[in-house]
Amino acid sequence: MDWLTDRHLFLLAVALYGLSLVYSVFLWRNGFRRDNRINYLLLLAAFGPHSAAMLLRGFHLGRCPVTNLYEATLFIMWSIVGGYLGIGLWARLRFLGAFVSPALFALGVFALMPGLDTPPSVWPGLGTFWMSLHAALLLLAYGAFGLSAAAALMFLTQERNLKVNKLRAIGSLLPPIQRLAAAAERLLAGGFVFLTLGLGVGGLALARLEHPQAYRGDPKIVWSVGVWLLYLGLIIWRWRFAQGGRRFALGVLGSFLFVLLTFWGTNVLSPLHNP
Amino acid sequence: MPILVLGLSHHATPVAVRERFAFDAAGVPAALESLRGSGAADEAVILSTCNRVEIYAATPREPSRALAGLREFLLASQDSSDARIGGIYALSEPQSVQHLFRVACGLDSMVLGETEVLGQLKQAYELARQHGHTGARLNRAFQRAFNVAKHIRTQTNIQRGSVSVGSVAVELAEKVFSRLGDREVLVVGAGDTSEKTARALVSRGARGLAVANRSSDKARALAAELGGRAVSFADWLEELARVDIVISSTAAPHYLLDRARLAPLLPGRRNRPLLLIDLAVPRDIEPEVNFLENVYLYNIDDLQAIADDYLKQRRQEVARCEQIIREKALALLEDAGGGMWRGGVRVAFGHE
Repeated sequence: MDWLTDRHLFLLAVALYGLSLVYSVFLWRNGFRRDNRINYLLLLAAFGPHSAAMLLRGFHLGRCPVTNLYEATLFIMWSIVGGYLGIGLWARLRFLGAFVSPALFALGVFALMPGLDTPPSVWPGLGTFWMSLHAALLLLAYGAFGLSAAAALMFLTQERNLKVNKLRAIGSLLPPIQRLAAAAERLLAGGFVFLTLGLGVGGLALARLEHPQAYRGDPKIVWSVGVWLLYLGLIIWRWRFAQGGRRFALGVLGSFLFVLLTFWGTNVLSPLHNP
Repeated sequence: MPILVLGLSHHATPVAVRERFAFDAAGVPAALESLRGSGAADEAVILSTCNRVEIYAATPREPSRALAGLREFLLASQDSSDARIGGIYALSEPQSVQHLFRVACGLDSMVLGETEVLGQLKQAYELARQHGHTGARLNRAFQRAFNVAKHIRTQTNIQRGSVSVGSVAVELAEKVFSRLGDREVLVVGAGDTSEKTARALVSRGARGLAVANRSSDKARALAAELGGRAVSFADWLEELARVDIVISSTAAPHYLLDRARLAPLLPGRRNRPLLLIDLAVPRDIEPEVNFLENVYLYNIDDLQAIADDYLKQRRQEVARCEQIIREKALALLEDAGGGMWRGGVRVAFGHE
């Protein structure tokens, strides 16, 4: 089976994400009046080859496959799909799939672009376990933030329909907006816990380096602290100042878009993460 | 032994006539006893609701003679021999079986696709069965009717959505709130439609209810009836900090609630959604409040448009349902080994 590589398996998964995207467009146009089981099954089917691709590469490398942008993208996508498959066990939240599949397909196509799958980086003097844990926790955090953003987008869609397009709102099978807001909040809180733990593990690892202060201005570290503060601000805004509804949903969505658009650039610019 | 149906319904018979022919539940077993004793039917079920009175019978007699016997029984049972009574329909197979299925599915109801009639049909059948007035033929037909109703409900959209203003309001509330169980409702103006809407919300579990009305007696009466509390009409705005759903239906000639008055109250609600249902004409609530965050306003036209849309969707499903019913009725009759239904007759009395 030499002809079957982890990239082939991932390509198959991306093709299934593409099919899910096409079905999602149908669900959107249909006003979410149909059951979303087919989309769930498509994402479940994609999760198989996606997981297999990561396992294959992980066994080949002998560590968690999070050493370059290609692998990091795969891991974020995997955590988004895994989280969705769990949440989708609740039938009414299954429509989340229609909101995540466009992002999954776009990320999948991005990951397959040439130049991202570089040879594994050599982490400067740090143990494989701790660095794998650091990367995995952070990528799980971004996956949770991605799901939170999808729930926020669902909220914004249904909230707008309830105000403007009332027939469409009542005809759709989307969950109540209060439940969507709660889902977005919980996923955000879960993601923040992963983010804090991931950065904590990274900080401890960094402290063990010979000259940790040399990396103080590393773009990725500055960016990570900025992202942590951004999400901390969102959480304080939500719980301390009781901000909810549309503005909070826009905040969640905007924050994830910021992460999505800047993650790759800061990674490339960071001597610590891209030696 | 063919199945026959004789009856009258809201389609062609006014309520003044229907009420004369209605059977009360306690009298049905005796009526069935008398019907079978007369030899008009071997098996029988009487369905008597506010919209229809029908006798379902199975008899080996020739259908037109048997139907004439059923008609005589129906007229006699209500002390009426008025031959001019119109709208009485008499059906033999296959139309009789199709009619039974249509009734079970709510296709023959005043509100298309409603489900209450299925419960009434089940009760009528159960009553007849418990007293030994049904046999193999009707048992099978009624059981099949209940199965067909379930099939239609799950496979088509004939029962989807709400077609009354009250139930549309409940459905909207369920689109906004995770649970209705811990929601508080404020009724402003104790009108008929607002009462029905509040009743629908309470029946779906709404926790608390407050009623404000210009006449405090009326507010107290409605509050007592629905298990809520009456509040002074002068103070109802203060309740907005607590409640989740407001149903407004007063005769005020101007807006009772506008954006300027509602906006300052919202911070105290800490982003809890507020559903406003304005049933009044002229409207009680300024449309501008819908632009406030976490506020969702619906007026009577919005609710009616949603109800009409559902009704339109239900009507579009009728042809599909009828096709399913024809197939299921045919299957039942062929299972019964007859083939005799092909020569069935439809006899109409009176104006039918």
